[in-house]
Amino acid sequence: MVDFVWNVRSPLQQAVMPGRAGAIVPFAGVKLAEIRDFDLVQIFARRGQREATAKAVKKHYGVDAPAPRQAVSAKGATLIWSGPDQLMALSARKPGTFRPVDALRESFEGIASLSDQSDGRCLIRMSGLQARAMLAKLTSVDLHDSVFPVGTAATTSIDHTAVNLWRSENSEDGSPVFNVLVFSSFADSIWHTIVDAAAEYGIEIETRSAASV
Amino acid sequence: MNAYRIKGKGRVDQRKPVRFSFNGTAYTGYEGDTLASALLANGVHLVGRSFKYHRPRGILSAGSEEPNALVGTDRGNGRFEPNTRATVLEVFEGLNTTSQNHWPSLKRDVGAINDALYMLFSAGFYYKTFMWPKSFWNKVYEPFIRGAAGLGKSPTVPDPDTYASRFAHCDVLVVGAGPAGLAAALEAGRSGAKVMLCDEQAELGGSLLSETNARIDGASGWDWLKAAAAELAALPNVTVLTRATAIGYYHQNLLGLCQRLTDHLASPPEGAPRERLWKVRAKQVVLAQGAIEKPLVFDGNDRPGVMLAGAARSYLNRYGVKVGNRPVVVTSHDSAWLAAYDLAEAGAKVAAIVDVRPEVAGHLKQRAAALGIEMLTGWTATGTSGRLRVASVRVNPISRNGVFGPARTIACDALLMSGGWTPSVHLFSHTKGKLDWNEEGQMFLPGERTEESRCAGAGNGSFGLAAALAEGAEAGADAAVDAGFKAKAATYKVDGEVPLMGVSSRELTTDRNASKAKAFVDFQNDVTAKDIRLAVREGFKSIEHIKRYTTNGMATDQGKTSNINGLVIASDAVRRPAPAVGLTTFRPPYTPTTFGAFAGYNRSELFEVTRKTPIDVWAEENGAVFEPVSLWRRAWYFPKPGEDMHAAVTRECKTVRETLGMFDASTLGKIEIVGPDAAEFLNRMYTNAWSKLGVGRCRYGVLLGEDGFIRDDGVIGRITSDRFHVTTTTGGAARVLAMMEDYLQTEWPDLKVWLTSITEQWAVIALQGPNARKLFEPLVEGIDLSEEGFPHMSVAEGRIYGVPTRLFRMSFTGERGYEINVPARYGRAVWEKLFEAGQQFGITPYGTETMHVLRAEKGYIIVGQDTDGTLTPEDAGLGWAIGKSKPDFVGKRSLSRPDMLKADRKQLVGLLTSDPNTVLEAGAQIVLDPNQTLPMKMVGHVTSSYWSGTLGRSIALAVVEGGRAREGATIHVPMPGRTHTARIVGTVFYDPENKRLSA
Repeated sequence: MVDFVWNVRSPLQQAVMPGRAGAIVPFAGVKLAEIRDFDLVQIFARRGQREATAKAVKKHYGVDAPAPRQAVSAKGATLIWSGPDQLMALSARKPGTFRPVDALRESFEGIASLSDQSDGRCLIRMSGLQARAMLAKLTSVDLHDSVFPVGTAATTSIDHTAVNLWRSENSEDGSPVFNVLVFSSFADSIWHTIVDAAAEYGIEIETRSAASV
Repeated sequence: MNAYRIKGKGRVDQRKPVRFSFNGTAYTGYEGDTLASALLANGVHLVGRSFKYHRPRGILSAGSEEPNALVGTDRGNGRFEPNTRATVLEVFEGLNTTSQNHWPSLKRDVGAINDALYMLFSAGFYYKTFMWPKSFWNKVYEPFIRGAAGLGKSPTVPDPDTYASRFAHCDVLVVGAGPAGLAAALEAGRSGAKVMLCDEQAELGGSLLSETNARIDGASGWDWLKAAAAELAALPNVTVLTRATAIGYYHQNLLGLCQRLTDHLASPPEGAPRERLWKVRAKQVVLAQGAIEKPLVFDGNDRPGVMLAGAARSYLNRYGVKVGNRPVVVTSHDSAWLAAYDLAEAGAKVAAIVDVRPEVAGHLKQRAAALGIEMLTGWTATGTSGRLRVASVRVNPISRNGVFGPARTIACDALLMSGGWTPSVHLFSHTKGKLDWNEEGQMFLPGERTEESRCAGAGNGSFGLAAALAEGAEAGADAAVDAGFKAKAATYKVDGEVPLMGVSSRELTTDRNASKAKAFVDFQNDVTAKDIRLAVREGFKSIEHIKRYTTNGMATDQGKTSNINGLVIASDAVRRPAPAVGLTTFRPPYTPTTFGAFAGYNRSELFEVTRKTPIDVWAEENGAVFEPVSLWRRAWYFPKPGEDMHAAVTRECKTVRETLGMFDASTLGKIEIVGPDAAEFLNRMYTNAWSKLGVGRCRYGVLLGEDGFIRDDGVIGRITSDRFHVTTTTGGAARVLAMMEDYLQTEWPDLKVWLTSITEQWAVIALQGPNARKLFEPLVEGIDLSEEGFPHMSVAEGRIYGVPTRLFRMSFTGERGYEINVPARYGRAVWEKLFEAGQQFGITPYGTETMHVLRAEKGYIIVGQDTDGTLTPEDAGLGWAIGKSKPDFVGKRSLSRPDMLKADRKQLVGLLTSDPNTVLEAGAQIVLDPNQTLPMKMVGHVTSSYWSGTLGRSIALAVVEGGRAREGATIHVPMPGRTHTARIVGTVFYDPENKRLSA
């Protein structure tokens, strides 16, 4: 066996430069974080198995499966509705896990198709008092509190690129927190688009491990 | 300072002068002026030359409908824009403007010769006048016409400005901030609904800005406006956008607003965007677009100084500018009388009011008499004089039975006309809302709606301030209610308003020869009434055809002042009622919109998204030259210092053939097909048979469309009995997945199969070359890599460097090859490790160019390069991949059509040039007889062509009619300067026995 020190690399390794960017202002209007080291499994209910899949979700994660346009927090995972009869299960990666699907296989055997997308997506978190203004440049979804409260999810697009967008609990300063999952190969481009959109508000950039959020 | 400015009058700030230039002459205007109002204040009416006849032209209107007063504006630092409407452009300190469409100067324009030769330039002249000699069209006439035509000059440098865009959502969007729009916004705003109000002008008010008589709830119009604006500004749920034009109304209440942010500023803030495109999704929309005044159509109605009466009133009341000292009014509508009164009260000597109606309301006459204005009712205008500015108008009385009395000439320095008003139904029409013809008003009005929208005010045919306020308030309240809020329309008391009536006239009748009259309908395109009648005489009956033949209603103003006049003239000529003749289609944008606004942020690096692989950064760090492949950027070749592309590719090819190369194949589309019916699904999609493919084995698959032509290809591996790993071409991935989903959902919903794109999940490293196995055999766990355990076209799961891998043995080079799939996050690390370990074998990374050469040497096709959507598998030499015993697959039926079986179909062949050093151009045409006369009979074309270092000569793939039967024949490739010859050969140039796959 070859001795090998892991050098896991994010598609945003080169693009994300932690620190301040954009306009020079006392308080960054937008905070951008790339969340790394997560597992992501897409769960598709098979035909006629919606109910059974919902039950399996409840049993496995201890929460109700997300209703359409919803994201729910469960023990150790966030479940994001991603389309009719499908959802994404997002969790912090356990050290040494290569195949997150394995842990779910038993629960969903025969009722849902599982697909590992841990490497297929990048996760970008956007917060700050101007996050909503910045996102208004990028997404056609109405993010107003009355329409898009905490826990709302949308399968939509940014710059013609498919994304999963959802809102998690407000940050400490009361500003909204939005998350987007973008396809890995598009991540570099989308990151630059986001930074460009946020530049006028001043940006604070960081990377975080999924285990720490 | 301004000869025609009235001190203290109007809304411009007369304490704040601004200096600007027009055609190099310095002028002064005031803050709040448009270029048009400032020029008029300086007595300048001549601002341009017309499109076709180069006739001197002035300012027709005071709004965005302006057809004539188009200027070039230079805002410095490369910020040049042609065709800016002087009536919209706000003046600022240092603005430089120039007139257009003349040479050598505005006052002396050689092109005006066209005016004298007008007989040559009638409707459709370019189809008729320049027919002979035929050979002159391409070389003489067309270049001449193109040189003479066109409006303004194109900018010569890239646009230095930046543009912004954003999405917005609201309960009620109100378009237009005239009295109707303001009333609507107030009502909706008071209800608590989220309201957006937009107006194309710099300040709110619309027609109120030009209104000085009427009083609303006891206050003057302007005081009421001030209070309304203040109330809206104070409402936190209301967003007011000025300088924001609603350019288009799209499905499900999505409207585009283009907001001008900096064009009015002398020194815009550094980096500030010039414009912002708002994409607004509104629950309810109120359209309060107002109305546009119609010109009267009579001989000489286009001279500088002839303008719409309402515009003259705007210049006077809003800008404090008298458009002339001795104006004449000619009209068929009461509203023009108000312009005469206001000008007379402002000190102008109104020489006459000429009204084509025999009778007008008594109160109009009384007031005109009190002001000492001569009234000529039942008279018509039959001509004008004055070269660079109108000097007189010729008028005749018409008796009740239509007999003309003697002509009279009235001297004037401005001629104000009104043919009534046309409701602006543009945005309503964008929604495909039905328009109803109103015979009395000779106008189209909004009818049945298709979206959640309401029209109010003059744009709905409800003219006058009181009607606009009432209808606006009601529309605003109703919209708020429909959006889920409580609202009740307020009522307004309006005093000092007189009802305004009018008749709509065709071309004014004349005692002169109507066929010689230059009575303009469309000022911008120089279309006269007789052009429209000529078009009808020549057989055009549909308004859409008449428009295109005469160009009436085309170009930057899109016929805002000409469409209805053109329609009624056409309707008379074809002897059908106007609604039966119809109306040309209203299309977005409402007014000319910059490309910058549409592009928004998508410029330069952000022009479009670029997809990158997990190994992209390594390639960049190691000197790769990239090429775009669909949205991806891929490493093209890896030059070493001093190498050009040819040298690098030759070296990379040689290294792969002799020892080992590595290639980033991560961009290949990857689809996982899972389920008990997965094999059956593949049987039906692909031409090949899949049921008998063993677990752990791969097969090359060909995908056709229903038409039987090749759509995509790729290697498909069976991971388990119910799980296949399908690869597609890089560019075809999304298309293939969509096609599969389509068939699965619509044709075979009974199949238990699930599809997932896993393109992004895996990094793919292709190791190719005789030393491939030697390199990584020690690195792989869990897979027997022996020749027996893992033969060519195998797939297995195991680990490499401890990382889970899906390993394929396959080759796109003809050498022993492996494709190592690892989760993307390990892609770069595994790549680096393999590169490091490969040094002992002299490994080289190679790019897409080497990949192309190596596969071409083996005759492996690239779908989309060697195929063009018209090749069957048989044509491409892939007949072996068709499962002939299968009951069906997509495209099977088409393959048996007679045309698909013809022997002379274009078939893929190899070409070897007579001169081995000649590399043919891909795409070059192939002929059999090089001595035939032009145009030659083409029998095929070169699809791929390379220098093959391995073979020491050029090679090419081509499609040739009946190509395979011509093997050994010589064909010719005529190119500029010389004709190449080549011999048709098989498509496999290297190792036809495939010995090297296991070498």
